Amino acid sequence: MAALLDRFAPIMSQRDALFGDEGVNPFQVKMDQVLSQTEAMIGGRRTILVGTNNYLGLTFAPEALKAAHEALEACGTGTTGSRVANGTYYGHKELEDTLREFFGKEHAMVFSTGFLANLGILSTLMGPEDYILMDADCHASIYDGVRGSTAQIIRFRHNDAADLDKRLARLADKPGNKLIVIEGIYSMLGDKAPLADIVAVKKKYENVYLLSDEAHSLGVLGKYGRGLPEEVGCEDDVDFIVGTFSKSVGTVGGFCVSNHPQFDILRLMTRAYVFTASLPPSVVASATVNLGLVKNGGALRKRLMRNAQKLHAGLTAIGLKIASENSPVVAVVAPDPMVAVAFWRGLIEAGVYVNLALPPATPYGYSLLRASLCAAHTEEQLDEVIAIFAQVAAKVGLASSPEKQVAERKRIAVG
Amino acid sequence: MNAPTGAEPSPDTLAALFEILKSFNKTGAELAPGTRFSEDLNFDSLVVMEFIAVVEDAFDISVPLNILPDVATIRDLAVAVEKIVAEDKL
Repeated sequence: MAALLDRFAPIMSQRDALFGDEGVNPFQVKMDQVLSQTEAMIGGRRTILVGTNNYLGLTFAPEALKAAHEALEACGTGTTGSRVANGTYYGHKELEDTLREFFGKEHAMVFSTGFLANLGILSTLMGPEDYILMDADCHASIYDGVRGSTAQIIRFRHNDAADLDKRLARLADKPGNKLIVIEGIYSMLGDKAPLADIVAVKKKYENVYLLSDEAHSLGVLGKYGRGLPEEVGCEDDVDFIVGTFSKSVGTVGGFCVSNHPQFDILRLMTRAYVFTASLPPSVVASATVNLGLVKNGGALRKRLMRNAQKLHAGLTAIGLKIASENSPVVAVVAPDPMVAVAFWRGLIEAGVYVNLALPPATPYGYSLLRASLCAAHTEEQLDEVIAIFAQVAAKVGLASSPEKQVAERKRIAVG
Repeated sequence: MNAPTGAEPSPDTLAALFEILKSFNKTGAELAPGTRFSEDLNFDSLVVMEFIAVVEDAFDISVPLNILPDVATIRDLAVAVEKIVAEDKL
C-alpha cells in the first residue's frame, strides 16, 4: 500500500534537491518584524522587500489604519458568519457601494479573497450548454474556478487574439453563451492583455461575454486606477471585472463588478460566497478607504512606474535577462532552477527579498526571480537593490563583464 | 486500466496524431496507440496545452479541457477527437 502522499514523490525529491540543505527555504520565509511597506527584518537582517505586490504602498496608509482601528473597536475582530447569514455589516455594503462608484458599474459583490472571487464567479457564471475560452496563462484561481464549472473549457494561446478568434469561430454555430477570460496584467511576467484586439474579436460573434481579472492592474493602470479597461478605453466592453484588495489596495479580499441585470442572483448561487465567512470589519474599512486613495493615486502611479523603469534599466545594465517590460513587475530569467535558487539565496542573504518562481508555475518553463515594485521604494533603496543584484549575479555567473555593463549603461542613457 | 472503450480509432486519426507528436516527443518513446502522455512522453501541463492547441488546429475542432482527465493514451485521444469531429457534423 502506497503512503498517502506518495504521488507527490517526484515533487518531494525535486524540492529536496533544490533547497533541502541548510540554506534558507525560499517558500518558508519568515518576517520577524515589518519595518515599513518596503522593509522587514528577515533572519536578523534588514531586508528591502521587492516582491510584495504592494504596488502603491498603501498597507500603512494612516487614513486606512484609522478606519480599521475604529471598525475593530466598533464591530469586533470578526463577523463569524457568511455574507448571506450574519456576516453582512454596514461596512460590507459601504464597500460594495464604493466599488460600484469606483468602477461606474451597477453591481458589486465582495468576496473574502481574490482567489475565492475567481473560484466563485467562474464556477457559477456559465452553464452546461456554455463555453469558457480562457487565456492559457491565467492564474491558478481561474483554472480552479473553471474546473468547477459545468461549461466546456477551451484554452487559447497566451495574449493571442487571432488564436482566440479561431477558437470562437469553431464555436460560432453552437448554441450557448461564451465567456472569454483574461487578466489585465499577468502576474509572472507583468505583461498586459491585448485588450483592444480581444474586444474586437468578441464583437465579431453573438452571445460572447468578457471577464477580466484586474488583480495586478487595479490601481496600477488607468488615470483613476481602474485597470487595463480604463487605460484602453473599453470599460463598457468588459462585462465582468474580478479583482483583489490584496495588491494595490493593500489589504485582503476579492470582488466582482458588472452591469449585468441579473447579477444579483449570484449572491445566492455562488458557493464560494455563500459558504465562507465574510471579511472582518477592520479589513473592510481599510479597503473602503484605500479605494479612495487608489482613485486619487495618480502621483503614486507615476512613482511606481518611475521605480519600475529604474529597476528594469539597472538590472538590464548588469547583463541580466529580463522577461518583462514597462511593467511594475520585473522578471529576471535564470537559466535553470538550481541557478535561480542560488541567486535567490544570494539576494536574501544580502538583504533583498524577491519572489522565486519555478516551472510549472511560470510561462515558457522559465525559472524566475520576480521583483515587484512599490511606489514607496526610494531611489536609495533601489540603488542598493541593483548593487546587490550585481554582486550576486557575478557570484552565480550571470553578470556580463564590467566593460559590457558600462557599454550597456551608456546605451540605455543615450536610448 | 486504459483499455479501449468501444470502437478502435481509425488508422488515419492515429497517423495524424503520431505526425503531430513527432515534434513533441522529447523522450524518444515509441509512438503507439497505447503510448501514455504522462508516463511515456513525460508531458507536463504546459506541453499538454501546446499539444492540444496543435491538435485542435489540425482537426479544426475544439478539445475542451474537461475531457483531458479521461485521456491517458494516444488511443484515448484519437477516440475523443473522432467523437468531437462526429458531433461537429451533426
